[in-house]
Amino acid sequence: MRENEDAVVEVLDLIKDYRPGFGLRRKRILHGVSFSVQRGEIYGFVGPNGAGKTTTLKALMGLIQASGGQARILGCDVSENDFREHIGFLPENPYFYGYLTAREILDFYARLSGLDGQRRCRRVPELLEWVGLGEASESRLRTFSKGMLQRVGIAQALVHDPEVVFLDEPMSGLDPIGRKEIRDVILRLKSEGKTVFMNTHILSDVETICDRVAIIVEGRIRYEGRIEDFLHEDDLMSDVVLSYLPPELGEILEAKFGARVRGVGGRIELRVREKQVSQLLRLGLEAGAEVVSVTPHRVSLEKIFLEAVSTSSSHLIRNESARKGERS
Amino acid sequence: MIRMRHVWPIATNTVREAIRNKVLYALLFFAVGVIGVAVVIASLSYVEGQRIIQDIGLASIRLFSLGIAVFVGVGLIHGEVERRTIYTILSKPLSRSEFLVGKYLGLLMTVWLQLACMMIAFVAVSLATGAPLSGGHVAALGLLGMELVVIVALATFFSAFTSPLLASLFTLGIWGAGHLSRDLYALGQQSGNESFAGASTWMYRLLPDLEAFNVSVQAVHGLPIATSELTLPILYAVGYAVALLIAAGWIFQGRDLK
Repeated sequence: MRENEDAVVEVLDLIKDYRPGFGLRRKRILHGVSFSVQRGEIYGFVGPNGAGKTTTLKALMGLIQASGGQARILGCDVSENDFREHIGFLPENPYFYGYLTAREILDFYARLSGLDGQRRCRRVPELLEWVGLGEASESRLRTFSKGMLQRVGIAQALVHDPEVVFLDEPMSGLDPIGRKEIRDVILRLKSEGKTVFMNTHILSDVETICDRVAIIVEGRIRYEGRIEDFLHEDDLMSDVVLSYLPPELGEILEAKFGARVRGVGGRIELRVREKQVSQLLRLGLEAGAEVVSVTPHRVSLEKIFLEAVSTSSSHLIRNESARKGERS
Repeated sequence: MIRMRHVWPIATNTVREAIRNKVLYALLFFAVGVIGVAVVIASLSYVEGQRIIQDIGLASIRLFSLGIAVFVGVGLIHGEVERRTIYTILSKPLSRSEFLVGKYLGLLMTVWLQLACMMIAFVAVSLATGAPLSGGHVAALGLLGMELVVIVALATFFSAFTSPLLASLFTLGIWGAGHLSRDLYALGQQSGNESFAGASTWMYRLLPDLEAFNVSVQAVHGLPIATSELTLPILYAVGYAVALLIAAGWIFQGRDLK
């Protein structure tokens, strides 16, 4: 199956059938899913709720058994165990033993990953600092917020310094600051040469950080390709979040930039063309506003995503994997 | 292949979870309380008060140990799947069988720890009331520890594929049947019915023979206990538990964790 030496994740015609209940007919969740993830890239696996993202990831992690097809990580079949020394996994809404402290839980995962005492003593505090939980290291996890638990989840996925990291909805349920922190962590992983596979339905995250993306709808890959492939300059937009904005300024900005403005908990969020961002920021800062975040947003991905969701299941927009299959 | 470097962190964490579980402390204090109450009950009797104290003490240790093993054991695997803590654990380089064995050993250490606490209470009450203590008592409590090897394996086995309610019903049912399996076998042999005798023999082979671990009567009455009455049950417990864990591992391996 190994087509490409740089591919760290290779999935070919993956099928998963479930029996919804005793005596009921089997239901197909994954209909021959194929894609590959190259070394060192951030790969976005995008789809609406119920599309099969988490099922695919569970099959890759060996939590469920595929009914057909093949899945390999670092050249090993996913039913094996030993390659897991080189992968990290953050599930969606991770839950950890609430009776343990952050330091204890990381030490536990480090022991499971085979780190000896010396390495654990060095790695655990280092990682807690890295994810910003240094001061909370002796607090019980039951007292942690969702954002803090997410950071514990990332830390446990990285405790053994894996080559490939799988993240299931890493930004789900986080506030804009929490999302930015997780985005920064993912970009740092990429800068360290790690491969990141990310399940998400938040398109702005995909646009901001992913190198390649696959769109899955109803258990079928509808699109796989590089972000740049569907990027047009006119489509470049940015979401700007400002706080402490004088009340009259929102209307002025809306009129001046033709921006869509919506208030979010005392903050204001505007979507403007990317070339207008600096002008908008200047105006906002001069009026005493504070900039919370600036997130590039590509309308074209949203278009493709919506098109993929609404297209009938038989019509594939583009599927590199399918083309590869034909070639081979 | 089961690697202890993977099993041990799971086992020690299971013990840590139990130590931080307040419900278990309540059960333990209640058990110790019942052993203490035996003194009051014995004082109501004119004869053999010390024997009554030890009878009640050993019986309550047996029942509370069973209760703790079932209470914790039946949710052992199910809880990990329900809370989804198992997802991150199995993403590490350990097999499902290693996880299962780790949980089993952790629970066994926990119930043995609780058994040790109850033993201390039993010895303290016996000494305080002047009730005689002998090697027979050590044998009785040691064999109870080996019975727990089987009970915990049963709870782990059922926990690997069914809900806590069903697992507790199955485990308690087999515990009851296991204490009657010798009688069932004897009944089959004496019945004169060939098919009933055959069925009772198979039931006896399949069900655990838990009466093999019960030497309480000999201990309390100071009767001799043969070496084979100690060694054979130990081998039997280990063999039965290993067979159950292999079966549990095989079932758990094929299970989808949704």
